[in-house]
Amino acid sequence: MILKKKMTGVIAPAVLAVATGAGIAGTASADEVKFGALYPLSGSLALLGEESFRGLELAVEEVNANGGVQGQQIVLAGGDAVDQNQAIGEARRLISREDVEAIFGTYSSSRSIAASQVSELAGVPYFELGAVAHEITNRDFDNIYRTNPTARHMARTHVDMIVDAIAPELGRDPADLRIGIIHEDSNYGSSVASFQEVFGEEAGLNIVVNEAYPASTVDMSSIVLRLQERDVDIVLQTSYQDDSILFLRQANERDFEPSAIIGGGGGYSMVPTAEAVGFDVIEGVLNADFTQYAVNADFATGVNDFVEAYREKYGSDPRSGHSLNNYVGAKVILEALDEGNGFSPEAIAEALSAVDVPAGETAVGYGVKFAENGQNDAAFMMGMQWRDGALVTVYPPEAAVADLEF
Amino acid sequence: MDLVFTNIVNGLMLGALYAIVSVGLTLVFGIVKVINFAHGEFLMVSMFLVYLVTTFFGVHPYFSLILVLPAAFVMGMLVQRLLIEPLQNSDEHIMIFATVGLSIALINLMLLIFGPDILNTPSSGLRQPVNIGSGMFLTGQLNILICAIAVVGGIHLFLTRTQLGRSIRATGQNRSAAQLMGINVSWIYMVTFGIGAACVGLAAVLIAPLYPTSPEVGQYFVLLSFVVVVMGGLGSITGALVASMIIGLVDAFAGFYLGANVKDLVVFGIFLLVLIFRPQGLFGGARNLSHVS
Repeated sequence: MILKKKMTGVIAPAVLAVATGAGIAGTASADEVKFGALYPLSGSLALLGEESFRGLELAVEEVNANGGVQGQQIVLAGGDAVDQNQAIGEARRLISREDVEAIFGTYSSSRSIAASQVSELAGVPYFELGAVAHEITNRDFDNIYRTNPTARHMARTHVDMIVDAIAPELGRDPADLRIGIIHEDSNYGSSVASFQEVFGEEAGLNIVVNEAYPASTVDMSSIVLRLQERDVDIVLQTSYQDDSILFLRQANERDFEPSAIIGGGGGYSMVPTAEAVGFDVIEGVLNADFTQYAVNADFATGVNDFVEAYREKYGSDPRSGHSLNNYVGAKVILEALDEGNGFSPEAIAEALSAVDVPAGETAVGYGVKFAENGQNDAAFMMGMQWRDGALVTVYPPEAAVADLEF
Repeated sequence: MDLVFTNIVNGLMLGALYAIVSVGLTLVFGIVKVINFAHGEFLMVSMFLVYLVTTFFGVHPYFSLILVLPAAFVMGMLVQRLLIEPLQNSDEHIMIFATVGLSIALINLMLLIFGPDILNTPSSGLRQPVNIGSGMFLTGQLNILICAIAVVGGIHLFLTRTQLGRSIRATGQNRSAAQLMGINVSWIYMVTFGIGAACVGLAAVLIAPLYPTSPEVGQYFVLLSFVVVVMGGLGSITGALVASMIIGLVDAFAGFYLGANVKDLVVFGIFLLVLIFRPQGLFGGARNLSHVS
């Protein structure tokens, strides 16, 4: 009921967006099955939106080369989710005009939340391969599935890494470490921070600071000062890029040297961040994020094949781990659908409920097993560390290519 | 005591940052009576220019002033001549929409050209920390403080002591009367907008070595600039400087003692109090509100 009310408010812009919608594929013939591919392909999120789409594209090509799903070749109908309104419009177009069986997406959490409301109402399955917001799979939707790890998994990795790896490396009892949580104050940072608090308390960690700040801040000296005054040993920052740079710079300039700084995805994973703060400053800084390429290939089986296929098709190295995670998610889903009987939502639900891929058998390392709400509960994030100008996987040990070191 | 001193230093440096960004805005606001919502984007475009000049010629970022200052001046004049002037006699809301539109257009233009990634102007030693007792600042921050005070003083002298400055003030006080006195109002507006934009150009030169440049960076500075301009008194340049320092200090102290989540509450709470009890701003006289009547 609440959903329906929300929907009426968005129909007007959606109609507009349909009129300007991009991405058209041929009509599906008898031996073809059509899926939607909804990503931000223009605008400010275009770079990683496209990178995500490439993973899906590679998975589809691979599955098609092996005979498709249920003997049918897969056709992708593209949609450009520039913003929430257009995500809704494009989802409607894909469902009503392109008549897709299901939609893959989306990279951006806000676009995913908006578009999946449309697909849920239409009873069309939505496969999320890359958006991290916790709520995406916690709205009591029947037809949403998500393969990637979420904000909750990020916080889980943060806390596990402190208890299992950082505290032993420092020779300290985890309960003696003084933890400071700082995060940008939108949905993303706040939700990761709230899980950090929950998991941290469960693990008996001593959280002495928990502060939100707007991502558009131009000065974090008062936050640095507070962390210094409270003798924080480990800083957890969940942030975008500019605020990651600002914090690392100001901490360094104020000689604030906690035992460990652990970032959450976003800014901490990007080379331009390291260039901005200096490779010597970011050396040793930790991060939790989607599986990247500096990972143990015995655990992330097939990661090197993926990189090779990517290079062959796009003529360059992958620009981030987004393509890899989308590739694995799409491939697992498509292979499961191949075992199913038709593409009705019920058949898809049945096929996906049978999925049980253990960790260590995918190119991202984590396994796939869908819970009741559609979330892949076998997913987890990797712990990484900046070492000699590169981000390498250090946690969990079976995925690590180097030991965590300070 | 040490902590108080540390926070005073932090606050003054932050205040200087707001001041240098706000000076141009308050000038345009006071004289042309336009709320320039594209002000932050002037800063952003200028920062991109600083980056391009610095990396292309391999010079110290401050040298880019030679090119950025005239470029910003011309950009300001063109915006006034081509966008604001045709709308000068229409409703104020129309001008607001025009500058908001310009702001969105500039952000997307830069997204198109440079993409969403950040660019780093070399800091060229300007991020060198200087410690005085428990206080710490960067040399680049000190330069911002010095320039902010110098620019405010310079513009004050210019407005009060030169013929052009007097014409600008006359136009600001009463456009029709100034026109009747033989002042070319259209030209004065262009020059004023140009000077306002040049101030932003200077701010960009000072800020670019300290902050990453991205299409969104203007948005980070602009909200507090509006607060500073209104709080100082519309069009009062000295007022903007004082208000910047107040906001900077409040920001630093509230951020440290109350927490980052609460500091905006305090900053905007004080802003509201000023609006309620002194709606003309701290330094605003009735003169500066002449466009209302």
